[in-house]
Amino acid sequence: MSEEIKKIKTFDQREWIKENISYRKDSGSWAWIYHRISGIALIGYLFLHIYSLSTLTEGKAVFETKMQSFLSPPFLALEWLLFIFVLFHSLNGVRIVLVDWADGAKYHKTLYRFSWIIGIFLFLLMGYIMFSHEILKLFGK
Amino acid sequence: MFKYQSVRNSGAKSWILQRISGIALVVLMIGHYILMHYHPDSGHTFEAVMARMQHSWYRIIDLLFLTLGFYHGLNGIWGIFRDYNMKPWLKISLLFALVILGISFIAWGFNIIFSIPYLKNLT
Repeated sequence: MSEEIKKIKTFDQREWIKENISYRKDSGSWAWIYHRISGIALIGYLFLHIYSLSTLTEGKAVFETKMQSFLSPPFLALEWLLFIFVLFHSLNGVRIVLVDWADGAKYHKTLYRFSWIIGIFLFLLMGYIMFSHEILKLFGK
Repeated sequence: MFKYQSVRNSGAKSWILQRISGIALVVLMIGHYILMHYHPDSGHTFEAVMARMQHSWYRIIDLLFLTLGFYHGLNGIWGIFRDYNMKPWLKISLLFALVILGISFIAWGFNIIFSIPYLKNLT
């Protein structure tokens, strides 16, 4: 190994938190971090999703009692927040595919900005759709 | 410099499968969200679920969605683990745990879908 190679700072795995924090981060690094966090959250939710749907086999009464608790406003809000993870992971996933297969490395920062704009729009739209019944009730309809 | 890189399994197959399943999941997820949230009843009442499950094509899509979701998710978790140097025994046990977890949850999901009966009269 030559002297020059030795001078290059390499990633120290034992100090991975410190190493990760010390890196200067641009949009791509943030996308990587958020992609990871949202991915872990989504697979965690998927386990819960199968568990919560398992009452389907026990008949209407059991299922609907369980569903009632998921339809309360706090749960709806959590579902809406879950949509952030879904949106980010989907939009960034599309961005990753474009970077890999469609020369996206040349325009990945623009894609990142666009996916935030599209994501925020879809998030608000979903909020309206999910809470439209509550919103209409507020106005006495 | 290449001390920790394994030549035997470059991960190319899992990379391409992750892309393909990801694209499929984006499409399926759009359908899932429209179906579940466009009207609050369609996602959350027993009748609505039963009515959907009367169509075999819907069941097939559901099974596909379930399998792809778990494959993509657990392959992603495995990808995170692969970022770190681990002792071979730890690597093998983690992979084994993920595979068992995946198979059991996919089997659970299949069991739920298949245990929903085809009804003659829907009310």
